[in-house]
Amino acid sequence: MDRRKFLSAGGFSLTAAFLAACNIERSPRAQRLLDLAEHRNENVERLLFQHSSMNYAKNGAKIAGSAFPSYFISDTVPVWDESVRGPWALEVSGLVKNPTKFTLEELRRLPFRSQRVDHFCVEGWNAVAVWGGIRVSDIARVVGATPDAGYVDFQSFDNGYHESWDIESAMHPQTLVVIAMDGHMLGMAHGAPARIHSPIKLGYKNTKYLTKIVFLPKRNGGYWSDQGYEWYGGT
Amino acid sequence: MVGSGLRIFNAYPAFARRGEQFCCYPFEHKAIPDALTFGGWLGGARHWHFAMMWVLVLNGLVYLTFIYLHGEWRDLVPRRGDIRDSFAMIKFYLFVSKKHPVQGKHNAMQRSAYFFLPILAIVQVLTGLAIWKPVQLGWLTALFGGYVWARYWHFMTMLALIVLSFVHIFMVFAVDPYSLQSMITGGYREDLSPEARNARPFYHLLPRWRRRAAQGE
Repeated sequence: MDRRKFLSAGGFSLTAAFLAACNIERSPRAQRLLDLAEHRNENVERLLFQHSSMNYAKNGAKIAGSAFPSYFISDTVPVWDESVRGPWALEVSGLVKNPTKFTLEELRRLPFRSQRVDHFCVEGWNAVAVWGGIRVSDIARVVGATPDAGYVDFQSFDNGYHESWDIESAMHPQTLVVIAMDGHMLGMAHGAPARIHSPIKLGYKNTKYLTKIVFLPKRNGGYWSDQGYEWYGGT
Repeated sequence: MVGSGLRIFNAYPAFARRGEQFCCYPFEHKAIPDALTFGGWLGGARHWHFAMMWVLVLNGLVYLTFIYLHGEWRDLVPRRGDIRDSFAMIKFYLFVSKKHPVQGKHNAMQRSAYFFLPILAIVQVLTGLAIWKPVQLGWLTALFGGYVWARYWHFMTMLALIVLSFVHIFMVFAVDPYSLQSMITGGYREDLSPEARNARPFYHLLPRWRRRAAQGE
């Protein structure tokens, strides 16, 4: 095939592809291609991932404070009602040597970290806050997470909301079980009494109103990932 | 890419960090009309965007490799006198001068457009990576001034690319429609070049007697 023939054939097939693309937005075939791309992109993202990549909010950036949006899926702000459910505790289980229930007091006795970082929402906005809490990796050490735990599910009392993570992201030093925000106890709108926060995942991966951390051999989807957002959601 | 990008943008059609104001975009919190967007919803548009970005990157790499291997990049780099030559083109289009300047394969304005298009495309890809991975590629995000600014440059570069593309396509049909042949098959008839026809925009749509008169100017 000479150059001219090659180029005109290429031109025709491009035109054909373009015409086919007109009604492609919801076609199942396209969906398969997008799924494949998501899978490939996750591999790229995991390749790029490094525990040493840290996020620090820009020096001049304002702390969002009351302008920090707060999302939850229940009809009203989820509140842990002690009179109904008993005292709150964080249950850590799954592929661990010592399944443990941490009361808020017990969590406070673990090494406390504070970080002024960005929050990246899937919608495109970002917001700065000072998050204080305990590294998930420290909790994993305390309970003795086993090497076959490749994934972690963060579950909440917000109407079944949960999101599962790859273990590498969960063990990142900036992934915290947060109990304090901007120097105060975590507020009800932001996931009290405890939530997950990490700048290395998009907002929806950071489960609020945390009740359970389950170490798993395989992934367990998530509230938004099951509805079509990327499961990996890494930044 | 543009349509799905605008769909994503519409989920937060602003640049300000929460709790702050943004200086440099007059339409903060005004959504782009749905008809210009693609992907249906935020999650869908994100999947399209992150799938098609590879097509864009591969396409760009093929283009850059091709013009490098064929030495054709030399036709696109800016030259001394380009500013003067651009004014010569503008003067001709504004009927100030009569003869179409002869400036080689591309005239100076074309050359700068074709030079800046790939550069803008590269900036588009890099700013895209910067807002896709603002932590893992944090150095890249910092290079563009942080997440908020990287997002802004991603948007502005898109606008610049669209304007340049529209001007380019307009000029193809207005001044040198015969170059369509060379774009597809590689063949080009010098006797139909804008220089040979002394062609200003839409000259080829004029009646023949008027064209002949223009050529004789």
